[in-house]
Amino acid sequence: MDDRNNISPAMIRMWRVYRTVKEMCMDRGYEMLQEDTEIPLEVFNARFSKEDGEPDRTRMHFSCQPTEAMLAKYSDPPTAKIPHPVPQIGTIWVEFNSDENVGLKQLRDYMQHLVNGNFYSGIMICSKPMTGMALRLLRGSAGIEEGPKGGVEVFVEQDLLVNITKHELVPKHVLLSKEEKQQLLERYRLRETQLPRIQVTDPVAKYLGLRRGQVVKIIRKSETAGRYASYRWAI
Amino acid sequence: MAPKSILKKSTVSTNEPSASSPFTQRHRDTALHHANLIEQQKVVEKEVLQSIITLLDFPTSPDADPTRPAPSDALRFQDLIISFQTSDYDSLIEERNIADKCGYALCPRPKKKAPSSARKQFIETDKGVEIVDKKTLEVWCSEDCARRALYVKVQLSEEPAWMRRGGVGDKIELLVENAAEHHKALPLRLKQAPASKPVVEEEEEDIAGAWAARDDALADLALERGEKPGRLSKANRELLQTDIKERVQSTPPAPPEPPQSSGQSHMAIEGHVPRANKSNESDDEDGQDWDKHLPG
Repeated sequence: MDDRNNISPAMIRMWRVYRTVKEMCMDRGYEMLQEDTEIPLEVFNARFSKEDGEPDRTRMHFSCQPTEAMLAKYSDPPTAKIPHPVPQIGTIWVEFNSDENVGLKQLRDYMQHLVNGNFYSGIMICSKPMTGMALRLLRGSAGIEEGPKGGVEVFVEQDLLVNITKHELVPKHVLLSKEEKQQLLERYRLRETQLPRIQVTDPVAKYLGLRRGQVVKIIRKSETAGRYASYRWAI
Repeated sequence: MAPKSILKKSTVSTNEPSASSPFTQRHRDTALHHANLIEQQKVVEKEVLQSIITLLDFPTSPDADPTRPAPSDALRFQDLIISFQTSDYDSLIEERNIADKCGYALCPRPKKKAPSSARKQFIETDKGVEIVDKKTLEVWCSEDCARRALYVKVQLSEEPAWMRRGGVGDKIELLVENAAEHHKALPLRLKQAPASKPVVEEEEEDIAGAWAARDDALADLALERGEKPGRLSKANRELLQTDIKERVQSTPPAPPEPPQSSGQSHMAIEGHVPRANKSNESDDEDGQDWDKHLPG
């Protein structure tokens, strides 16, 4: 505990954010070592602090490759016409923005960087909420030629201080692949519009990076049934 | 294999709306109309965003003078800013400040730096010393630019662009010293050369003239509604029906009847005689004497 006193509060804060981001990438299915998500504070401090004890965000950026399981989950079921479908997921680039305010300029620079680096999608973590216009660009950028294919997600450091999925009241969310979704709909003889919904702006949906049209399985504890699974359609 | 249904096979699905009903067509039209309105709103919002992105890099030359902007820049600025609301203009200033530029879009200088890095600053004003946010100090490069930018801001309409009426506030004035140059630089509108008309019969010409006049009038009306060519029309012909139906009365109008009994006028409440009283009068039952049957 003595060590902790020598480390600046900003550094401890950043350490928690960093761990949550790593855990988020692992939960989404990117290749990530368990040790990486549990990096001790001392190691983090040694690696990412500047001389004045403040965190050096520019050195914290990293990229991740999707695992085989994730690639399979994100690709369409093979058909006769397309025996090897292209998975709709790829390398992700995570950047910690150190600017005081993040506006259109920073967001566009970031998108340009993602396109130049051939990244499929990106996560930007900024210290303060972005400006309104930047959010508007982000909302409209899903189908825009300007940004990367998989889109850009933006988180505020404040929201990542704790990993919300580890809270006891948050049930387990599991993303279904297209094939599993098809089986589910057939099993219960449903159309997807008849499923309950979950918004893509939901905190857990944002954590998992859900896209519109995907289905998550939510597993809750139940006193009578032990475990109870329900399904939600992301909109 | 999918489990076999035990339900009867129904031939007609009751969920499907029948296309023959006049209501479903109307409902569909209404839904479409409102969907188009939302679409239009999105288009305007996107335009505003694009304009802001363009204006971030203004002025085009690094040594431009905000008091005497280049005519091309000024015209472009005026053009782009018309569809802005005041809040959009504030966002533009905010974005320019983040990019470390003066908030006024025609000024190439960087924003002013506050004397110290404290969050609150002491400022000497005419009224004495004031404490202000550091942010409000670092918006403009000079007082002059602030005046010029706010001169534009007060002319902007509070109403969002997709709800505006055309012909109102279509022109934004700038506070510049070379205003005359800008008027000269306006694109000259060439008059259409009058085509040499072939000699036609006078009547035919009249009819054509009348149609042309009607088209002109309709175009003027459309402009007044705030439409632009190539945009969705705001006057929806399907939803607003213009054929007028006369109400034909079958029975001859009867004069109003005189009040039946003048003795009841004291019971009237604003001319209306409550019915409960009337029935009470005809057969006087329990009412207030409900206890007379009781023994003792």
